[in-house]
Amino acid sequence: MVEVLGFEGIGVNAWLIWMTPFIGAAFIPILRKKSEKIKGYVAVAFSVISAFLALSILPLGLSNGEIHSQIPWFSALDIDAGVLADPLAIIMSNLVAWISVAIFVYSVSYMHGQKSLIRYWFFMLFFIGSMQLIVLSDNLLMVFFGWEGVGLASYALIGFWYTDRKKDYVGKEGHTAWGIPQWTSPTHAGIKAFLLNRAGDVMMLSGMFMIFMYSGTFGFRELLADQTWAHVMMQQNLLVPAAVLIFGGAIGKSAQFPLNEWLLEAMTGPTSVSALIHAATMVKAGVFLVARIGPLFFALSVFNMNQFFEIVTWVGAITALLLATQAIVNPEIKKVLAYSTGSQIGYMMMALGIAGLSTNFVDGYTAGFFHLISHALFKASLFMAAGAILHTVHSRFMNDMGGLKKNMRKTYIFFLLASLSLASAPLITLGFWSKDAIFASILESNYEFSSYVFLIAVTVAIMTAFYTFRMVGLVFFGKPSQNVVNIENKGHRIREVDKMMWLPFAALAIASIGFGVVGFAFEGQLHHVFSTYLASYFGIIEGGVVPLGATEAVQSSPELAESGAATAEGSKQDALELNPLAVVSSVAAFGVGGFLGYLFYIKRIGDPEKISDNVVSKALWKFLYNRWYLNSVLYWIGVVIPLAAYRRINKYFENILMYGINPSVQQSMVMMSKVAKVVQTGNVQTYLYVFAAGIIIITMMLLS
Amino acid sequence: MVATFMPLILSPVVYFLGKRKGINITTWLTFGTLAISTVLVIIPSIGLSSGGSYQEVFDWSQLGHFGLKLDGLSIPFAITIYLLSTIIVIYSKPYMVRKILLQYEQLKSSSNLTMNDAESELYSNKDGKSFSSLVLSTDQKSYLNSQLGLYYSLYLVFAMGMLGTVLATKLFEFYVFFELMLVPSFFLIAFFGYGNKKRTSLMFFFWAHVGAVILLLGLMAMGFLTGGFDYDTVRANASQIPQAWIAVIVAALVIGFGVKLAAFLVHVWLPDTYTDAPTPISVLISSAMTGIGAYGLIRIWIELLSGPGNYTDYSIYITIWGVATMIYGGAMALMQKDIKRVLAYSSISSMGYLLFGIGSESVLGLSGAIFMYVTHALGKGLLFMMAGSVILQTGTRNMDKLGGLGGKMPYTAVFAMIGGLTIIGVPITSGFMSEWVLFNGALQDAVVNWSAVKAVSFALAITTTILTSAYILWMYKRIFYGITPETLKNVRDSSKYVLVTMGILASLTLVLGLYPDLFYKPIIGYVESLYPDSDVLIPVKIAPGTGQVNEEPTNTTKASNVAFPGGTEYQRTYLLAKSHVDHPITF
Repeated sequence: MVEVLGFEGIGVNAWLIWMTPFIGAAFIPILRKKSEKIKGYVAVAFSVISAFLALSILPLGLSNGEIHSQIPWFSALDIDAGVLADPLAIIMSNLVAWISVAIFVYSVSYMHGQKSLIRYWFFMLFFIGSMQLIVLSDNLLMVFFGWEGVGLASYALIGFWYTDRKKDYVGKEGHTAWGIPQWTSPTHAGIKAFLLNRAGDVMMLSGMFMIFMYSGTFGFRELLADQTWAHVMMQQNLLVPAAVLIFGGAIGKSAQFPLNEWLLEAMTGPTSVSALIHAATMVKAGVFLVARIGPLFFALSVFNMNQFFEIVTWVGAITALLLATQAIVNPEIKKVLAYSTGSQIGYMMMALGIAGLSTNFVDGYTAGFFHLISHALFKASLFMAAGAILHTVHSRFMNDMGGLKKNMRKTYIFFLLASLSLASAPLITLGFWSKDAIFASILESNYEFSSYVFLIAVTVAIMTAFYTFRMVGLVFFGKPSQNVVNIENKGHRIREVDKMMWLPFAALAIASIGFGVVGFAFEGQLHHVFSTYLASYFGIIEGGVVPLGATEAVQSSPELAESGAATAEGSKQDALELNPLAVVSSVAAFGVGGFLGYLFYIKRIGDPEKISDNVVSKALWKFLYNRWYLNSVLYWIGVVIPLAAYRRINKYFENILMYGINPSVQQSMVMMSKVAKVVQTGNVQTYLYVFAAGIIIITMMLLS
Repeated sequence: MVATFMPLILSPVVYFLGKRKGINITTWLTFGTLAISTVLVIIPSIGLSSGGSYQEVFDWSQLGHFGLKLDGLSIPFAITIYLLSTIIVIYSKPYMVRKILLQYEQLKSSSNLTMNDAESELYSNKDGKSFSSLVLSTDQKSYLNSQLGLYYSLYLVFAMGMLGTVLATKLFEFYVFFELMLVPSFFLIAFFGYGNKKRTSLMFFFWAHVGAVILLLGLMAMGFLTGGFDYDTVRANASQIPQAWIAVIVAALVIGFGVKLAAFLVHVWLPDTYTDAPTPISVLISSAMTGIGAYGLIRIWIELLSGPGNYTDYSIYITIWGVATMIYGGAMALMQKDIKRVLAYSSISSMGYLLFGIGSESVLGLSGAIFMYVTHALGKGLLFMMAGSVILQTGTRNMDKLGGLGGKMPYTAVFAMIGGLTIIGVPITSGFMSEWVLFNGALQDAVVNWSAVKAVSFALAITTTILTSAYILWMYKRIFYGITPETLKNVRDSSKYVLVTMGILASLTLVLGLYPDLFYKPIIGYVESLYPDSDVLIPVKIAPGTGQVNEEPTNTTKASNVAFPGGTEYQRTYLLAKSHVDHPITF
């Protein structure tokens, strides 16, 4: 374990990884007058610099080293700013950095000819900076800085086309459920995303405050080093609530149930934005946060944190199921991908949660993070390919596509490769291995309800395979749709997009398959990295936790360290044995879902509409298409009813009662003056009488 | 001293100079005066960044001496007030020139119609030229010169009144300045306002004055019962006040300052005032003046009446009142169509945050509330300036008639976004730095006192930040997003006067957001000194690392499921005992 402190040597790089994009963001507005190309290339250059900086610390991370450097920041409260690049952060940071580079290159071409590119690049760079800040900072407060930064960038980029043209909407126009429109303008979607994220952030802040109250620090390392706070909180029964509240932030950011509705509307942004923010990186921030604090809470398992991990598991499971079902019926390609993103993130949460419920924390942890990596690769690739298709056919609906296989050969191939990974085609795709690892970890956990979780996981896997093939079939197979024919009739041939666009998603798709072929070894490697990481930093080894404070001992005494490493090796060996049930069910799920999708949408043996032409399936379709009515419920409770109440209050209370004060005072003054007029008769005798009466009364009062 | 009175002395000079020499000289003279004064306030503040106070005492005829004092509490207030006043001078120039010329037109056409829309139609800047470049007739010129001179001379007195309030060292002095800031603001609205400005200004004066008189009763009672009007005397003798009187005094103070803060139920003066005041004055009233109510509460109630009991007894009502104000202001802000009205209700809501912080009984809560004043001044200042900029360029402030201005007025849009984020409390802006400290303090209070009411208040209050984001973002959407109406096709961004000043405020909020120590050091130093030995305020943090705590973990290394023997004791030491004795604060 190498530890780098302070700014010397490579320590600076960890700071620069997140600072460089911010510097770039500040630099971009200077290029206001420069050409579109220059703006694009400068932005790409900044992202590349940041990526190379991240790469420079990768060897350190793989050898279980860490960089931890702090500078005084908010000295009035004794809070330091700092970066903490441990293996987890370093791997994540590299993932973010390199996917960003790919998407930046893609953007240069995709955003060609758009207005306000300054704004676009500013927020893209601002986004990477904030994301890296989440990944690399060493305390919750700075994480929250990045957290809100990515939220802001997301808000700004979802509403990038702020003039709200009809073609930038998502959802089918006129589609309402329970009186709530299900189609949305970009700026509306931006606000929705911001507010739902805010709801999560509010929870996260409350959780952070609780922990800060008892520990006096936000730092991850400090929280681990002295665990008295946890003990005190446990006695107040506040530890689990605080942990769950922090997880609330992750729910918001990762669009998990019940704050999942914003992610679908977030598709109003440019597709490059969807790929970067709403598929590959930002929505993973929630997962990353759980990965960050999960080991900490697991290390506190003396205090019985099971409830926290159960909640994580079930939120993940419910979301995975909820969104997968909706993806099956959706007609828009980007929304199918968005549903799928939420659903896959549910898988990751499931894995991280189940990790905390099993004796072997490392297995679930690795599985969750492994799925994060593989999903980031193939989903970014899918989104970029979808963007290329949208670019060509000018429509977001899949029934405006169809038969594109012939004319967009390259897009087709790479889209298919990434899709196979999403559907987790056995043995050659990264998606297969990561999903398999999740299945295995669920099966091997000793959580009492793990069989139900497993059932959900398999169901979702079947659905995933099905909707993936449906999507591929609708877009690339069958006859060209009316829309495509129209475009061709107008004299525009449907063509392959240019190199700048297809190269990035080709690279990611190939990476997804390339790593997939060696996926098993890749997983083993990852497992090894994480087991040493968890053992040496958190004292988490196979079969439990080395108790509080013993981490020091593990590091200091060579004997213990060796045994820790040995168990790490041992568990690595374990992981290399495949769980047969997991493999079988994974393959079967792919087979069933994929085969059905293949039959209906690629071979087009039966017309799905005819088959589903009965009452039950129609009702089911409507239920799913209306998003389980969750969106409507959200709007009724969160928007319509409060606004109606406020309107009433405004009308009756504010405008009549409150504003009535002024005129009534005015009126009473007038009345008083009238009274005064009556009293002041000008008759001296009257005055004297009153005066005398007054004196008599006062005297009597004094005497009595 | 100089800082306080130079504006007052120069005020008539500005008026006459303005009449003779014209608008440029007035503007820059006012600016210079305030700039120098600001520097004079900042210089002693730097020396105080770690606590302590700076005091000047002067003799004052028969009434004894009076003093001006800078300490941890008044530094943020004083600097904010003067900095903002200085910056708004420049912002005022284009805005008031336009406004005054418009009034001239009205005078000439002798149409005393006071309808907003009729007035604003005249505004629209169809040719896109700025007014200062127009050739004016001599009549116009002399009218403009004298009116702008009048404006700036009143402006100086207003600024000086606000500063005096926060620097005063005697109850009586406080009251004089408190009224002194009211009078010029009354005239500023009456002379330069919109709509039914006479009625509005009277109403403003009436409410503020009623509040002030109630306050005066409280102050006088305090003075007589403690045998002196000096802050020091009052503080020293506060325990002599009979218990029955305490309740009366606190009620008078809270109502008096509550009116100034425009808290729920006594807020009705505020929306009309903000809407009808000329925008630069709206900025000052909203950002600088209303918050002085919070200053008063902290200084005169919490600091001076620091006897046991009274603050802790009543804090829960302040908390509830604060939450009610927050939610009510936010909810009403959603209902408005007029930009300035949205901002007015938003100000009410923000003042609710201040009240909420003041009711929190903790060092962090109070410090957060004080910092919130600075934050709110910057954020709401920016938003009002945005409103002014939009009014200048489009001639309307009805959001139904606006839309899609983001592309037309990019700089205004960017700065307004920063201002909005400050109010919402998003990091990097100073808003977050005040909000989290404030809410953290409130939560501490709820947990340490194990009070369900306070816990619910905390939950409601922190949820209200969602409401805040909703109205800010919705307002922003209606102004800057969507389709631009036909009438606004040729709108351009405002002049440099407007944009540069907005830029300065925007960068200030970013700087404070990144480096909050600038203000937090004196603030926390001051708040901690409020109740040094008593257990009224919850200490900054319940820091581990003292005494027995460090010994514990070593025991636990032995076995994983070790029971924690000292458990109940921690609870006592760390939570229930609020005294500082066991764990001194570590900075």
